[in-house]
Amino acid sequence: MGPQHPMTHGLWNLRVRIEGEVIKDVEPEMGFLHRGIEKISEDRHYNEIITLMDRTCYVAGLNWEHLFIVAAEQALHIEPPERAEYIRVLSAELQRIASHLMWYAAFCQDLGLTTPFLYGMRDRDLILDLFQSYTGARLTYEYMRVGGVRNDLPLGFTDRCRKVVDWLMDRFVEYDRLCLSSTIFNERCNGLGVLLAPEAVAYGVTGPMLRSAGSHRDIRKDRPYSVYNKLQFEVATANTADVTGRYLVRMEEMRQAVKISRQCLDWLDDNPGPVMASQLPRWLGAPYAPVGNEAYLLKRNYPTGLGFSMMEEPHGEAGAYIVNDGGEHPYRVKFRSPVLINIWAAKRYLPGYRVADIPPIMGSVDVCVGECDR
Amino acid sequence: MSPVTLFSISHTIAAWLLAHISYVFPAPAQGWLTSGNVVLGLTALIFAVILLGASMINTIMLIWWERKLLGRFMDRRGAMHVGFAGLLQNFADGLKLFRKDTVRPGQADELGFWLSPTAYLVSSLVLFAILPISTGWNGGSLPLTLLLALVIFSFAPLFIFLGAWASNNKYSLIGGMRSAAQMIAYEVPILLAVVAVVVLSGSFDLTTIVQEQRNYWFWAPLFLALIVFLTGMLAEMERIPFDLPEAEAELVEGWNTEYGGMLFAFFMLADYVRYMVGSILVVLLFLGGWTLPSYIPTILTSFPLAGIVWFMVKVYLVFGVFVWVRASLPRMRTDQLLKLGWMRMVPLALLSVVLAALVVAAHCLPLIGCVPSMGG
Repeated sequence: MGPQHPMTHGLWNLRVRIEGEVIKDVEPEMGFLHRGIEKISEDRHYNEIITLMDRTCYVAGLNWEHLFIVAAEQALHIEPPERAEYIRVLSAELQRIASHLMWYAAFCQDLGLTTPFLYGMRDRDLILDLFQSYTGARLTYEYMRVGGVRNDLPLGFTDRCRKVVDWLMDRFVEYDRLCLSSTIFNERCNGLGVLLAPEAVAYGVTGPMLRSAGSHRDIRKDRPYSVYNKLQFEVATANTADVTGRYLVRMEEMRQAVKISRQCLDWLDDNPGPVMASQLPRWLGAPYAPVGNEAYLLKRNYPTGLGFSMMEEPHGEAGAYIVNDGGEHPYRVKFRSPVLINIWAAKRYLPGYRVADIPPIMGSVDVCVGECDR
Repeated sequence: MSPVTLFSISHTIAAWLLAHISYVFPAPAQGWLTSGNVVLGLTALIFAVILLGASMINTIMLIWWERKLLGRFMDRRGAMHVGFAGLLQNFADGLKLFRKDTVRPGQADELGFWLSPTAYLVSSLVLFAILPISTGWNGGSLPLTLLLALVIFSFAPLFIFLGAWASNNKYSLIGGMRSAAQMIAYEVPILLAVVAVVVLSGSFDLTTIVQEQRNYWFWAPLFLALIVFLTGMLAEMERIPFDLPEAEAELVEGWNTEYGGMLFAFFMLADYVRYMVGSILVVLLFLGGWTLPSYIPTILTSFPLAGIVWFMVKVYLVFGVFVWVRASLPRMRTDQLLKLGWMRMVPLALLSVVLAALVVAAHCLPLIGCVPSMGG
């Protein structure tokens, strides 16, 4: 199946050995979308890499920007202002909702449910509108900067955002009614693609797939980054470890993301301030250099450093590792893609089911090939 | 004055045409041209052309209706730009497909590849000739119209499988096999549901069946059979809860993966012809055909062509139900589908036959020999 197949949602190939309709063995083949992002990064200024991050995962651009920025700031010894952190978390959570909505749409389409596809895309558009209003773009934002974010939120943004998340909370009820109350949905998804927690851990599977098996692993709780330790939310879990479980986890995660967004919005309303660190090296990226902070640091005096960040990205746990050897470009950049590992575990969770089960199971993995192949 | 029928209209046109054309011919040919048999022959031709044109236009309007309705279900507006409210969109689409090159894969079998869409479309269109739309508006009236319609309706898996096999593509072949298995599995409950109707009406003639519904429409006593029939029709039509043969997610486009351009248009058109025929059958068998209940004021039922208008309204509403189902249900799996067909639908259909027999028996108790004119 693939690389040109409606099931793949991107460019990858799944070799399936079948016996009748039953899957005996699978072999995912990745790499069709490899663009060498890690290698290109070695040749770019730090702020220029942000452009690549948007293209890493095209449905969760801001999460990947955030991931890179946190690692880069660590490597460059830069402390962002708190307001910037809140804006980043808000962006990341909105992006999580957008990504999950995209997943919901695509997953339902795989099941043959065409209406939720349109509903998911419609509601995702509202979030993209929000993004457009403060980043200027709908898909490739290039919004976060080493040392903060490019610009503050526009006037009246928080109220508009509140209105959108309120609307979304109502829609989630509708989504559940469309899916969970349908007998056919339950018959198709219950007990499908089971991957129990110990196996998931052994394969390195993370994110909603791991949490659907009853695990409480969530980096936002276990190893809080940014301002997540100041925010109240719960880790969404399910016990069934199947496709329905993953559906439930993602739905609950969207609700929790709304909860986090509301807290961020309240904080942002009460605490105006700068969104960019005051002392920044000017060579961070020539065309994207932060303007207005004249007290820049010279390259030859700049300390070396290592940066590592782990983040709960919509698809799972993403990691970034950056080596700063004092130059204007990073010496080495390495990313961990959660999707790649989640797909590789297909060898474990696909065999034994039927060919017709492949789309819902792989749909429940939430494949994003851009991030997988990098 | 005899009521206007499609036949009388075509006959008038044919006689008028021949009378005028015959002026230019010498006398012996003139006499032959205006003779009864020639007029009758031309009548049949005109009749067929009108029927074909009307069915095609209706089929294309059905696509429009589905697109608009589906759009509303999905919180969008559907086609809007070509013609008023997108009425001409499908004609434009058809034209686009018509201009496309038809590509045949090198490995495909030539005869089967070309024959399959044509035969599929033709066998579907034939159905319009035998289904009565209103009194006097059908092509042929046979005592066994219903049986003939169902037989022709079940030709489809053969042609689909032919096309799928000829395409020489694994997805096409799997889709074709699924299609055949599914259609055969759902023939049985459909036929049983029809048997229930036949038991109640005492006839295989669709016109008689409609006339027998003058007191009450058959959906009321045969609600179970209606459910079975609707479900079975959904499966026969390969619409969304049962659209496994073209399950997009796993089989790309199923049995018509390799078809493009006009051949694809043929398949698509034939599919919609079948949707139309399915809806027409539901209306004829269960919803009183072109009749309306007696409590409806006569002003609504006495205008010219009222029968056809109400019939089409019903057909479009029934198809609306199919669209509604498509908008709200996911796709089933092959094994679940077959299980549903054999283990749920068949017993339900059998039960509905028993119910129909009981209804007939209840009517017969007071007076003997009342079938088929029960209630009267």
